[in-house]
Amino acid sequence: MVPNKGEIILKIEDLSVCYGPIAALKKVNLDIARGEIVVLFGSNGAGKSTLLKSVIGLKKPAEGRIIYREKEINLWKPESVTRFGIYLIPEDGGVFRTLTVEENLQLGAYHFFHQYQNQFEVVVHLFPVLKQRLKQIAGTLSGGEQRILAFGKALMSHSQILMLDEPSMGLSPKYIIQIFETIQALNQRGYSILLAEQNVRQALKYAHRIYVLESGQIVLYGNAGDLKNHPRIKEAYLGS
Amino acid sequence: MKIIIAQMINGIALGSIYVLLVTGFNLMFLVGKIIHFAYPYIVVMSMYICWGLLKLTSNLLIAIAGTLISSVILHMIIEPLFRHINTRKGSVDINSSFIVSLGIALILTEIMSHQLNYGFPIAFPLNWMSNVMFLEINLIRISSGQLYTLLVAILLTLMLFMFIYQTQSGRAFRAIAENISMARLQGIPIVRLNLLLYSIAGLLSGIIALLFSMLLGSASPWLGEYIALKVLAVAIVAGLGNLKGGLICGLALGIVESLIIHFLPGSWSNAIAFLMMLMVILIKPRGIFNKNSIES
Repeated sequence: MVPNKGEIILKIEDLSVCYGPIAALKKVNLDIARGEIVVLFGSNGAGKSTLLKSVIGLKKPAEGRIIYREKEINLWKPESVTRFGIYLIPEDGGVFRTLTVEENLQLGAYHFFHQYQNQFEVVVHLFPVLKQRLKQIAGTLSGGEQRILAFGKALMSHSQILMLDEPSMGLSPKYIIQIFETIQALNQRGYSILLAEQNVRQALKYAHRIYVLESGQIVLYGNAGDLKNHPRIKEAYLGS
Repeated sequence: MKIIIAQMINGIALGSIYVLLVTGFNLMFLVGKIIHFAYPYIVVMSMYICWGLLKLTSNLLIAIAGTLISSVILHMIIEPLFRHINTRKGSVDINSSFIVSLGIALILTEIMSHQLNYGFPIAFPLNWMSNVMFLEINLIRISSGQLYTLLVAILLTLMLFMFIYQTQSGRAFRAIAENISMARLQGIPIVRLNLLLYSIAGLLSGIIALLFSMLLGSASPWLGEYIALKVLAVAIVAGLGNLKGGLICGLALGIVESLIIHFLPGSWSNAIAFLMMLMVILIKPRGIFNKNSIES
C-alpha cells in the first residue's frame, strides 16, 4: 500500500492558530510527501478545517511555519498559495453556484488559460458527466455532481497538492465511494492529497498515512496499515 | 402620437444612461463590495471638468480625453480608501463604505457649489451639445446630441454586458460577487481585479458625464444628488446587485419619466417615479428581480 516515500513537499512545523483567546491548533507538526494520500481524522471542532485554512492562507497562524517547495508560505495570501500549487476544495462544495459548469472550469484555469483546451480534454475524459452539463448553472447540479465539478475545477488549476475538507459530507453512500475512488485516481495521476475526514472507515481504505487530531493537537499518526488496528482508532472511530 | 414617439426616444436615451449608471453602481456593489452612493456625484464632477476644459481650450478632443482621464483618476484616488475599510474590518463592510461614499458625495457637492463657477449652474456651449436637429418631422425633433447619446449608451451597455458575461475577467468579477473567499481559493488576484474594476467604473463615469452633458446641456451642484437618489432607487427596486434587473428597470425609469413629462408638468416626474418605486418595494421588498428569500 505505502509507495516509496517521495520527497517532502509540504511541511508544517509547530503550527498554532488562535481564534481570539481560543487556541484552535496547538503546535501541530505534519508533512506530506509527493504522491501521498494523507488523511486527517478528527471530530467536529478538532481543528481539521482550521489546519487546511491556515495552509491555504485564509487563516493566519499565531506561530509556526508552513513550508511548501522550500518556501515559507505562512503569511501568503490564498490567491498566491493557490497559484503556487496548493488547491483547497472547501467544505461547502467549492463551486460557483451562479456560474455555469463551463465558466467554473474556465475560472479553475485562471492562471493557465493558455492551456485551457488541453486540460479541459483531460478533465472531461475523467469526468464525462461534466461534458453533458457544460452550459448548466452549477447551482442546479446535484450535490454529488457539484463535488465532481469541484474536482474538475481543481484539476484545471495545475496544482500539486489537493486539500479536501470533508468531501464525503452529505453525500449518499454510492457517491461517497465514487468520491474516494476519484481521489485515488487523482493520486495515481501524481497529485499529493491532504484529506480532512470524519468517515474513518472509508478513508482508511485509501489513505497512505493518517494523523489524528483532537482538540487542536495531533494525538496519533503513522502509516494507515499500522494504525488500522490501533485500539484508540478502533475505539473512537470504528466503534468496535 | 408623434410627440409620444419623440418622448419615447428621449426616454430610451435617458434610460440607457440610467442603465449605465446602475450597472456601474451594481458592479461596485457586487465586486468591490461597497455601496458607492457617490458614483453619480463623480459623474457630475466629471461634467464640471469637461465644462472647464471646454472653457479653457474650446477643443472638443481635449475636453473628451481630459474628462475620461480625470474620472479614472478620481476613482483611483478613492480606491485605496475603500480597500482600507474592507481590509481593516477583516471582512467586507457595506455599511461603513456607504458612509465613506456619502462623505465623498458631500465633499464633491461642496466643492461644486462653492468653488466652481461661483456655485451657479453651468451651461455647455451649443457646439458641444451639437444641438443640430437630426430629424424634424412636424413635432418630432431629435437632436444629434440625443442620437449620439442613444447610440453610445446602447453600444456601451452591450460592451459592458459582453465584458461581464463573456470574458475571463468578467467571469472572475461574477465569481467574486458570489463568494469572495472562494474566489481567492481559486487563485483569482483580488487586488488586481479591484483595480480593474475601479478603472472600468472610472472610465464609465467619464463617458456617462459626456453623455449627460450632451443630453442635458447643463449641470448644477445639486444634479449629483438628484441622479444618485434615482440610481439607488432603481438598483434597489430591481434588486440590489442584479445586473439584468438594473438594465430593465433603468430603461423603464427613463421611459416613464419622459412620458410623464408629456402628460403632466415636468416637476411631477420625480414624484410619480418615486411613488411607483415605493409601491414596488412594498410589494417586493427585495426588488423585482431578486428572489424573496434571505439566503439567495
